[in-house]
Amino acid sequence: MSVPTFPHADPRIIADDGDALRFCSTCAFSEACLSRGMDKSALSDLHVLVDHAGPLHAGEHIFREGDRFEAIAAVRAGTVKTYVVDRDGNEHVLGFHLPGEVIGLNAIDGEQYPCNAVALDTVMLCKFSFPKISVLAARLPGLQKQLFRLLSRDIGRAALLAGDWTADQRLAAFLVALSRRLAERGFSPSRFQLTMARTDIANYLRLAPETVSRVLRRFQEDGVLKVERREVELLGREQLEALAAPVLRQ
Amino acid sequence: MATSTLFSTDLLRRYDRPGPRYTSYPTAPQFSADFGADQLREAAQASNGDPIPRRLSLYVHVPFCLSPCFYCGCNRIITRDLSRSDAYLARLYREIDLTAPLFDRDREVIQLHFGGGTPNFLTPAQLREVVETLRKHFNFSDSPNRDISIELDPRFISPEEIAELAAIGFNRASLGVQDFDPVVQQAVNRIQSVEQTVAVIEACRANGFHSVNVDLIYGLPKQNPEGFARTLDTVIKVRPDRIAVYSYAHLPEMFKAQRQIEAEDLPTPETKLGLLQLAIEKLTDAGYLYIGMDHFALPDDELAQAQARGGLHRNFMGYTTHADSDLIGLGVSAISHIGDSFSQNPRDIISWQGALDAGHLPVFRGMRLSDDDQLRADLIQHLMCQGEVPIAALERRYEIDFDSYFADALQRLEPLAEDGLVKLEPGRITVTAQGRLLLRNIAMCFDRYLDQPATVATPRFSRAI
Repeated sequence: MSVPTFPHADPRIIADDGDALRFCSTCAFSEACLSRGMDKSALSDLHVLVDHAGPLHAGEHIFREGDRFEAIAAVRAGTVKTYVVDRDGNEHVLGFHLPGEVIGLNAIDGEQYPCNAVALDTVMLCKFSFPKISVLAARLPGLQKQLFRLLSRDIGRAALLAGDWTADQRLAAFLVALSRRLAERGFSPSRFQLTMARTDIANYLRLAPETVSRVLRRFQEDGVLKVERREVELLGREQLEALAAPVLRQ
Repeated sequence: MATSTLFSTDLLRRYDRPGPRYTSYPTAPQFSADFGADQLREAAQASNGDPIPRRLSLYVHVPFCLSPCFYCGCNRIITRDLSRSDAYLARLYREIDLTAPLFDRDREVIQLHFGGGTPNFLTPAQLREVVETLRKHFNFSDSPNRDISIELDPRFISPEEIAELAAIGFNRASLGVQDFDPVVQQAVNRIQSVEQTVAVIEACRANGFHSVNVDLIYGLPKQNPEGFARTLDTVIKVRPDRIAVYSYAHLPEMFKAQRQIEAEDLPTPETKLGLLQLAIEKLTDAGYLYIGMDHFALPDDELAQAQARGGLHRNFMGYTTHADSDLIGLGVSAISHIGDSFSQNPRDIISWQGALDAGHLPVFRGMRLSDDDQLRADLIQHLMCQGEVPIAALERRYEIDFDSYFADALQRLEPLAEDGLVKLEPGRITVTAQGRLLLRNIAMCFDRYLDQPATVATPRFSRAI
């Protein structure tokens, strides 16, 4: 079998839970640690225990707004949606988090989680006690840099959609960004499943659900992509990249 | 072409065994009571979540019939009490009230079909009310290929009423004929003249119906090639756009009405297949294309065109061009196919009414398709509609290695290949002209829920003699 299509993980990755000495292959931090010669036994010497959590099923919450902040979590498998609910009860989607990405970073400056995090499909997580990882980060500049990078990426992503973009640009940017993130984790960049519902995508992109479908249908008619149920295949990568470029600031 | 040139008696006997008609895979016996209203709601919600949600097809089941046809295996109620429809429609509207809100409003209805029973047990005024109620609750497409179709019993509808149906928006009709041979009509308790049938077909045409289908049945009691040939000639002369030639399955232990049929009046399997071949010859000579299973269509009919471009699909209503839609079944016994789920309403009217009177969605069983079910359903669809297995596409879509995944099925296919029903080539499985008459047997090889082989086991050496 060739490159896995998200969310079907490569069986080699799924099977790879790491062990006392090795990191899981989806670990968001392994590179930072290993580059400083810190393997898992070195980490356990520092009492940085990593909790594997899950599987959580679609609709289960990982944390809710106002819960006491204890840990950041890296997604090992599946998709996590973060969102807040406004005073009128309307949901606002903040982001979607894929394998290798971290949730809970926006809680760092407070005592409580400032948003909700819910599993969209079957999700596996690694939880890191935040106080402990910050101690570790102080000793490992690489880890600190990695944390800052993840943090700024989180902020950057949220800012992307603030601009005055068309529906076409928003959707193209969404698909291109998703494709790149999946490619980084070894998934196929051209074929993947949208694990989030249409209303979630629409909410995240500040569009009406009908608009999401209308634009996708038009993209499909133009041969830019193909949609079959939840599965998307990107066919006209260049066109999508061109549309997405201003949004993704390239 | 005589029977013997296509099939030997021996071959015929081996393949003449009951099997599903694959209007769904998995088939209804796999549905389970674990699947109820909550699961249906979830399935509907998930289907709304697709980036481009599928369009909707609606099916309305009208269970009543004025008179019992003895061959019938449908879910129906024989009554002459026309007032029963009011009580039925009241429940149907309740079901529409409960069901419609489950689906996002921007999902267009591309097809509405009335089946039965006898849908024209309802008066045109009642049918108008049903269509209008549905239009209020669902978003009907304005596209010219949006269909409103109905199964008609020509004995109980007048040309004037056809004009009323056309005014409501009906644009396709399917007429039950079965056989014009008076002896057969007597044996199945369905006396229907050529004149009244032709009058209805002509009224459909005069009122702008896009397509008219005629149903015939082979294998009925007292049926013989001469009489059936006359029926076929008569039908061909009227030239309906589509003709379905169904096989009669005699299952008196399952269908009470069939107990009125004397088993000794039934044609032998040889005669029965002869009748089918007669139909195939006559219809194809007359310019009809064989679509598959039991369906024929004129080349300019949408069904034939859809098959040519690979857009043909098969569901509970038979073959359809509306491939990419979720099916919502309304009424007693109706089956829905939403997203990756099947679900069915109670088959008895008391339970169906009871659920609705209590304010519940009347689902009594169903199932959620596993990845394996979806793969096999997809494969069987292609077999039934395109006459081939798209190996490369399935491997890619489901991330499997076809030969190892279907090693068992391929082994079961071997004898069928030897009998000339399928052609097995590297990367390619195609159904032969002969195989198209035995599509079920071929599909059965891929059915995970059947543990028997597709033919009655015959020792391999017996054929060498």
